[in-house]
Amino acid sequence: MKREVKDMDCAQFERLLHDLDRPGTEGFSLREAALGHAESCSVCAQLLTQAESLDLALRAVAERESGRQAPPRLENLLRDEFRRGAAASARRRVRWQLAALATAAVLLLALGLSLRHRAESPSRNGGSRATPAAVATGNSPALASDSASEQGTLADSQVADSDSSTAFVPLPYADTSAASEDGAIVRVELSRSELASFGLPVTDLSATDRIPADIIVGEDGAPQAIRLVSQSSLDD
Amino acid sequence: MEMTPKIDVADDRLLRRMLAGDEDAFTDLYRRKHPAIYRFALHMSGNAAMAEDVTQEVFMALIREPQRFDPARGSLSAFLFGIARNHLRKRWEQDRRLVPLAGDSEDFDDFSSSASASSNSGHAVGPALSFTAELDSLDAVGRVRRAIATLPENYREVVVLCELEEMSYEEAAAALSCPVGTVRSRLHRARSILVGKLRDGHAMRRVPAVGE
Repeated sequence: MKREVKDMDCAQFERLLHDLDRPGTEGFSLREAALGHAESCSVCAQLLTQAESLDLALRAVAERESGRQAPPRLENLLRDEFRRGAAASARRRVRWQLAALATAAVLLLALGLSLRHRAESPSRNGGSRATPAAVATGNSPALASDSASEQGTLADSQVADSDSSTAFVPLPYADTSAASEDGAIVRVELSRSELASFGLPVTDLSATDRIPADIIVGEDGAPQAIRLVSQSSLDD
Repeated sequence: MEMTPKIDVADDRLLRRMLAGDEDAFTDLYRRKHPAIYRFALHMSGNAAMAEDVTQEVFMALIREPQRFDPARGSLSAFLFGIARNHLRKRWEQDRRLVPLAGDSEDFDDFSSSASASSNSGHAVGPALSFTAELDSLDAVGRVRRAIATLPENYREVVVLCELEEMSYEEAAAALSCPVGTVRSRLHRARSILVGKLRDGHAMRRVPAVGE
């Protein structure tokens, strides 16, 4: 039996039946048409009655159950847990702040050390910067205040004076006015006769070995001062 | 369908205060939300102790991992129901003895076939429910409660959420992590099964009642 009553058939009625009282649904918006259909169809009317009875029954259960809740001890337990969690969270925050501060301090320290290392590294590699001006004026502790006569003599191809590696002797033709704040130390190997020509005290000029020496080269490329390098420095 | 979750301003405010460490805010939030969670767990498990445990787990999760709640994905209630549901499933896996009805699938088959027959014929409607006149009595409410408890889990949860807790389809869908259409079709099916159970007296069968 095909039923079509008031623009709604039974299939559509059954599809919408359980949403008739549910706002926001298609069933709710077509409620009037559905009720109209039920008035004209005894089978759908019975379905509607059953659905309404079920609604009543469910509502009764919901009302009866509405007062049910967990025992109060659960609230106390959870509040304790919350308190512990909040305290732990506060401790974690402090620890994070301390860790952040420590990290920042370490980074700053590392940055400082890095800058210092960068400033010092050329001298370790044999090309450190020196101040020829200091050589010229004798302010540098590494500069000999006098000529090679104050230094020992080179004996048996060795540096005679262990301090010779730290004392520069100004070269005779060095132009001190050309000296600037910056200069480079260059390590070279020279023959004994060449070293003697710079006024350094060496022996056995006929020997063919070459002696290591440091030369300060000014910004204009001209050598400014020279020093002998001790064996111990070379070992280092 | 794209869902736009409604933001409960009071929940949102309480949650923010709770996240800032305000214990009173947590207490207010707990008092607002826990009864529904407890009842849901109670209806789903039929066991008061398990309902209490699940409620505890839900709020422990909120305390310990509040960042898991994403307002863009649904309301706080939906989030809490979702946690409760996951815990219930874990519990059932751990201890199947506490599942309310071992014969759910059999019941489901019985009632789905009878309901299908009713639906297919379009007119095989049984007598009107006889218990509505006696709904005031505890026994009648107990019968309905037991009928709900005999529903298969998927159907039981939509009945509890949409009928007993009066959630919208959208809220229930967010809590159950499924499409709105699925919630709607499950609820319609569940209601058909309930009508059949109550009409035919299947609910009179002795099953663990809520809280027993």
